[in-house]
Amino acid sequence: MLPVAAAVIALAYPKVFSLPYPQHVGVLICMNALMAVAWNITGGYTGQVALGNTVFFGIGAYTSSLLLRDFGVNPWIGMLAGTILSMIAAVVLGYTTFRLRGYYFTIACIAMAEIVSAIVVNTRRLGGAVGVTIPIRDASLLNFQFHGTNKAPYYYTILTFLAVALFVVYRVERSKLGYYFRAIREDEDGARALGVNPARYKLIAFMLSALFTSVAGTFYAQYVMFIDPASVLAQPVSVSMCLMAVLGGLGTLWGPVLGAMALIGISEATRVTLGGTGQAVDLMIYGLLVIVFAVFQPTGLMGMLGKLKARKE
Amino acid sequence: MALLEVTNLTKRFGGLVANDDVTMSVNEGEIVGLIGPNGAGKTTLFNSIAGVYNPEQGKILFRGEDITRYNPEQACQAGIARTFQIVRVFKGMTVLDNVMVGSYLRSQSDADARERALEVLKFTGLYPKKDYLASALTIADKKRLEMARALATRPTLLMLDEAMAGLNPTECQAAVDCIRAISREGITILMVEHVMEVIMPISDRIVVLNSGKKIAEGEPKAVSADPEVIKAYLGGKYVARS
Ligand SMILES: Nc1ncnc2c1ncn2[C@@H]1O[C@H](COP(=O)(O)OP(=O)(O)OP(=O)(O)O)[C@@H](O)[C@H]1O
Ligand SMILES: [Mg+2]
Repeated sequence: MLPVAAAVIALAYPKVFSLPYPQHVGVLICMNALMAVAWNITGGYTGQVALGNTVFFGIGAYTSSLLLRDFGVNPWIGMLAGTILSMIAAVVLGYTTFRLRGYYFTIACIAMAEIVSAIVVNTRRLGGAVGVTIPIRDASLLNFQFHGTNKAPYYYTILTFLAVALFVVYRVERSKLGYYFRAIREDEDGARALGVNPARYKLIAFMLSALFTSVAGTFYAQYVMFIDPASVLAQPVSVSMCLMAVLGGLGTLWGPVLGAMALIGISEATRVTLGGTGQAVDLMIYGLLVIVFAVFQPTGLMGMLGKLKARKE
Repeated sequence: MALLEVTNLTKRFGGLVANDDVTMSVNEGEIVGLIGPNGAGKTTLFNSIAGVYNPEQGKILFRGEDITRYNPEQACQAGIARTFQIVRVFKGMTVLDNVMVGSYLRSQSDADARERALEVLKFTGLYPKKDYLASALTIADKKRLEMARALATRPTLLMLDEAMAGLNPTECQAAVDCIRAISREGITILMVEHVMEVIMPISDRIVVLNSGKKIAEGEPKAVSADPEVIKAYLGGKYVARS
């Protein structure tokens, strides 16, 4: 029942709110939800706190944008190329870091992201610190560009990506993969004793996560039409995916979506009420929320909903 | 040829020799008890067999296959399942989901895995608690769950590390009955246990370790009468007087 209601609301949203701003907020929520859903595969289900996913977001954004700018390659094909590159990056990063447990893995991820960012900043061919402007094409689904004030086509595009990601995670949850992911999170040695190869399954999780994050990266580039290391290859990008998943509920299907709605809601509300100076305030509220949740509600918004439901019954 | 053959196994931790030139075997269908005082090296031997440790010397053959350098998942895939002395259930998962993880090893489909898991839960008597979170179980049930989870991997050899420690007499009896039932299914069992009243009657053969060395091996009766064994358990005084 609930998923059906959610789908109806999500589909009707741009029809009900036809102004550019609410549609833009809708796009932001879906895009961030997609990133949080992707992050949740590694961070939530397998319990590997990967704080370097901005690498995959950046690879997605840069691959499609550079292919389009320099070779005229269609962004959909660029998106595909980006996902392949991102998954290769995940394998490399995974192989070198999965032997590290806990904090060390997290630190290695952060370091990796910093290295990639430094490489891009210092390579003129990749746009350097200045960034890349995406060339304008005719507005069409085929060109992955929609101009004007109506953001609904972008909204439906990203909503479709999000729906696909949620469907994949839904299926994974109920399959061998999902069971093995959770077993690894709960107790890696216990899982090994049952024949689970943690390196292999962490890698699969990481690759899935990289794939969806990369798609979000290409989408971001096509939506904003400009990318630079500060916007797509930066630590806050990695951290916000993690925050949304934690706030919503780690290792749950809908948690990252709720988390994205909450955090984008807060961020936009503070921006609107406080204007340009509001930027730091939303971060302060994020920080406070994370502390409050970590202490009082470690299972996130999903856990809260679960409790409410249990009380009603 | 025995199912499991351990030859001249030595495992050191720095200067400490936890297993010193241990040779032992387990035959197909047997229940073998592994006993010895605290720190004798029983868990270490389990860990070497299960692929957790790489022994410095010696060889481990399982169904004729050299598994000495296997890692834990390979050992399990080869047919060796084990429980842990300190329980390692997946606390945040339900009883059924814990067992599902085990049953996926040799299942073709999700439905297959589920069916196998439910079967094992009925067999071990955990079925009524299948939807409990593992963290909500009593210690006896957690140990039972570890056994169920291991069984779900369809092992040839099941290794139990102190499956009865911390259980009251009723729970202990239930665990013994369960182990006997597992044995009747044709699964070979190697078990570590401190409670003599439990291990002696259930075992076909006993292996005794002391300070890393094997000091005795044989039928329960013969082993409990062995002066070396009595000395290891009760200290030199007892032997001197007799
Ligand atoms: N990982 C390790 N690192 C260092 N020393 C270890 C390690 N594991 C075990 N030991 C030491 O090796 C010896 C054998 O330990 P082991 O746990 O195998 O004994 P045990 O027979 O299982 O004892 P218990 O009956 O108390 O469980 C002990 O002295 C122990 O302190
Ligand atoms: Mg022990």
